[in-house]
Amino acid sequence: MDDQGCPRCKTTKYRNPSLKLMVNVCGHTLCESCVEMLFVRGSGNCVQCNTPLRKSNFRVQLFEDPAIDKEVEIRKKVLKIYNKREFDFSTLKEYNDYLEQVEDIVFNLTNNIDVEGTKQIMEQYQRDNKDIIQKNKAKLTREQEELEELLLQEQQDSEQRRLETLQEEQRQLQAKRKSKQALLDELESSKLPAAVLLAQHKDRAAQLETQIEKQKQNVKPANIFSTGIMMGQTVSFASVSRVEEVLYVYQPLFIDTYGPPVPGLDQLGRLGYLNHVRTASPQDQAGGYTSGLACHRAIQDAFSGLFPS
Amino acid sequence: MKLNIDGLLVYFPYDYIYPEQYSYMLELKRTLDAKGHGVLEMPSGTGKTISLLSLIVAYQKAYPLEVTKLVYCSRTVPEIEKVVEELRKLMDYYARQTETKNDFLALALSSRKNLCIHPEVSSLRFGKEVDGKCHSLTASYIRAQHHSNPSQPVCQFYEKFDAVGRQVPIPPGIYNLDDLKDFGRRKGWCPYFLARYAILHANIVVYSYHYLLDPKVADLVSKELAKKSVVVFDEAHNIDNVCIDSMSVNITRRTLDRCQTNVETLQNTISRIKETDAAKLREEYRRLVEGLKEANVARETDIYLSNPVLPDEILQEAVPGSIRTAEHFVGFIKRFLEYLKARLRIHHVVQESAPQFLKDIYEKVCIDRKPLRFCAERLRSLLRTLEIADIADFSPITLISHFATLVSTYSKGFTIIIEPFEDKTPTIANPVLHFSCMDPSIAIKPVFGRFQSVIITSGTLSPLDIYPRILDFRPVTMASFTMTLARTCLCPLIVGRGNDQVAMTSKFETREDFAVIRNYGNLLLEMSAIVPDGIVAFFTSYIYMENIVASWYEQGILENIQRNKLIFIETQDAAETSMALEKYQEACENGRGAILLSVARGKVSEGIDFVHHFGRAVIMFGVPYVYTQSRILKARLEYLRDQFQIRENDFLTFDAMRHAAQCVGRAIRGKTDYGLMIFADKRYARADKRGKLPRWIQEHLTDGSLNLTIDETVQLSKHFLRQMAQPFRQEDQLGLSLLTLEQLQSEDMLQKIAQIAQQA
Repeated sequence: MDDQGCPRCKTTKYRNPSLKLMVNVCGHTLCESCVEMLFVRGSGNCVQCNTPLRKSNFRVQLFEDPAIDKEVEIRKKVLKIYNKREFDFSTLKEYNDYLEQVEDIVFNLTNNIDVEGTKQIMEQYQRDNKDIIQKNKAKLTREQEELEELLLQEQQDSEQRRLETLQEEQRQLQAKRKSKQALLDELESSKLPAAVLLAQHKDRAAQLETQIEKQKQNVKPANIFSTGIMMGQTVSFASVSRVEEVLYVYQPLFIDTYGPPVPGLDQLGRLGYLNHVRTASPQDQAGGYTSGLACHRAIQDAFSGLFPS
Repeated sequence: MKLNIDGLLVYFPYDYIYPEQYSYMLELKRTLDAKGHGVLEMPSGTGKTISLLSLIVAYQKAYPLEVTKLVYCSRTVPEIEKVVEELRKLMDYYARQTETKNDFLALALSSRKNLCIHPEVSSLRFGKEVDGKCHSLTASYIRAQHHSNPSQPVCQFYEKFDAVGRQVPIPPGIYNLDDLKDFGRRKGWCPYFLARYAILHANIVVYSYHYLLDPKVADLVSKELAKKSVVVFDEAHNIDNVCIDSMSVNITRRTLDRCQTNVETLQNTISRIKETDAAKLREEYRRLVEGLKEANVARETDIYLSNPVLPDEILQEAVPGSIRTAEHFVGFIKRFLEYLKARLRIHHVVQESAPQFLKDIYEKVCIDRKPLRFCAERLRSLLRTLEIADIADFSPITLISHFATLVSTYSKGFTIIIEPFEDKTPTIANPVLHFSCMDPSIAIKPVFGRFQSVIITSGTLSPLDIYPRILDFRPVTMASFTMTLARTCLCPLIVGRGNDQVAMTSKFETREDFAVIRNYGNLLLEMSAIVPDGIVAFFTSYIYMENIVASWYEQGILENIQRNKLIFIETQDAAETSMALEKYQEACENGRGAILLSVARGKVSEGIDFVHHFGRAVIMFGVPYVYTQSRILKARLEYLRDQFQIRENDFLTFDAMRHAAQCVGRAIRGKTDYGLMIFADKRYARADKRGKLPRWIQEHLTDGSLNLTIDETVQLSKHFLRQMAQPFRQEDQLGLSLLTLEQLQSEDMLQKIAQIAQQA
């Protein structure tokens, strides 16, 4: 690492530890001060390959090999266009072919093989697949989604753990403080000799200690799914053995109301009860509501209030 | 001796048996019957290996359809050899008793370095060189070239094996590494490939952990082992660390630089081949387009770089289009490499999860997750196509590709930590990227899933219940066995104070305290005066040991100790340490007596046994906690807490205590052996620490041996040593801790045996 240096001013990292190397699209290195000097006007040519460059395109070199920096830059650009996902293809083979094609393009661009032709292919592709590119822009690949999920879960777990331990500690602290306070109170008010009290306190403290120990051991095992099914349990697909018992027979509910019989739902309209309730609006009826329902409930309610004289 | 274990006839090659061995076999039988996994702890020196082998072999003979193969995993080559020797004894006994010819095939498998018989290749020193050289002689394209051009060198041993070796099965018998080499020399076959081929139909395979746990190797070697195998992990107290190491990747600046040269070589080779032999690249391309599986065409010698992870459904898919052609792939690797380089160029520590890393890499260099996943696979294919012979040079780029594949495959259980410098040297830039696995169950899960019984066993597995939790499996048996003893031959003592009543502890706040260091010195001095022959002392770390020894020197303690015994010190250098060990043994042997100062978690504490007079006392200075400020450890602790509900402190104590137990366990390697175990830290007396020691040590820890002062310790030790120095004959043991067949069958003995095993 230390022998890396600017090819122009020959400063090395060893001599100037704060040396910052920059890379532009052509993949050649320059140090920060050289960049400042050569590109005062905002653009200029590369010292080594004479490619016209812009100052704003200079990036800090991340990797030891500037070619990798260049490749990654290109790759990111290419992947912005070639962003089809696995489910855009009908077979895995097609997807793999596609991946290889992408790889070819990146390879050509980084190694300066047939740059013009490759660029044309890219443009052609971009024109042909405008919709898909737009659509996939926001989407992550399935694997990235998985990763995100895992990360999220990790965060949640660690947060929960932190809270739990915090609570646990506080609870223990409180319990200890309480027992200490109790001892002081007893010493103050009790008529027993102090030695006995101290012995009692010691006993209690020991008990408390063992209790805490036990609680700690009782941490709930993490081998149960949230559904209550044991982890690692093999679910058998064999049919459940039939229980030979008398079948359940539904018996309609009968309520003794001590009054005249309650009119049924279908009778309400005929008997004129419905005239006294608000008719259902079309919006109400959309949900399956009819004015009969409310009326029926009200009448049942009323008849239930009748008691035998 | 023929035993009846729960209705199973077991041949046991010795005339006497320890009661705990019987009990161990009972438990093991139950595990095998249930077709489940087991965790068994039995003290070292009580014949674990032979009990395991005799029972499983008997089981295999009795139910050949239930258990087809025994896979015995051990840690080091000497241990593997020991197992094979025991097995040989057992098989001889079988042959003598049943008077039939042995039809069992058992063999040991190790790396090429230990098995190669090629005169040039086997003379190389490092395993990697041997592998690379072997590959350059046996790869399929090299052999194809040899056909057209006979001057191209190939390995004649492999050629011969390939021609006839597969048709003729290796005759049944017991083969250790040397036997395999002999057999290979006689036939002119390559022993390594012979062994790898033969494990498919062998009844017993003995090899190292990595052949099962390291996914890179396991895929090659152990892929086709049958489900009905029994897998045994011996000395498994560190199995979680082995699992984690096998899935973790560390990348330094140096790796990346070497990777850079790899990429350049690749690029040059590609452009050269394009000019001379473009058809080859087109052929590879066509294969990839069609999504043909690499494995179908690969031969056994070529699969040198295998995929580090195994989700098959991913590998069935075709390689993504963006890395299909060779140039694009090299460009892809280059971008990845540059990205890693940029990430390593930081000035503060970064810790992130795999999804965060993937998101960042997409934003910075437009690398998607999918091609990353295929990185290892694609690189393998490319290296094969380019016919690169010397593949050992390409280890950095292989490492990077493994990292790429792992990071994109697992979203959980891993963490990425980038440190710009080491903790000890904050001024020297030495950036490292740790891709660290935090979940040992990831590596071992396939093993538990694939084999019907997996047995985890060791001398120190306490507390038993933590292993199933961190390895995430459900054992059917968990048992800890104690040692039945005719005399109490181990004496654990916890020293908590010096004679001046200052507490002795290696706690961070007081470890620099003058009084503590002096007391530690006095303890060693006093012990050196009364313990015969060898003493082994363990410290918690190398730095701590250096500090203490330096200040002992200043205080003149060292000089006083040297009047009694010679002092040897373990260092981080392996050659130096083995020299020190050798001289230590010499000093013990000739009666001068010696002290070995070593470090818990070091080489001595793990692999070296101090039998009889080589270790009459072990002193553990302090509690060997792992360095808790390490970020990898912190991340792992956090993960354990969230996923397995194991609290930080519990795990740290567990880890410290298993290492302490491992250290002090070095002294007792059998029932006739005896030794003092001195824990020099007052924290050992606490119930939470004491309770995590293995049961066979805990049993002998009485209330009277807690929190002693130095002179009390000396008093107790003197008494103990005097007792132990009395002659000890086999008759004393018989009937108590050593049983004949009749004794074993008596009613009250069976009752006693039932109490040995403690279910956890």
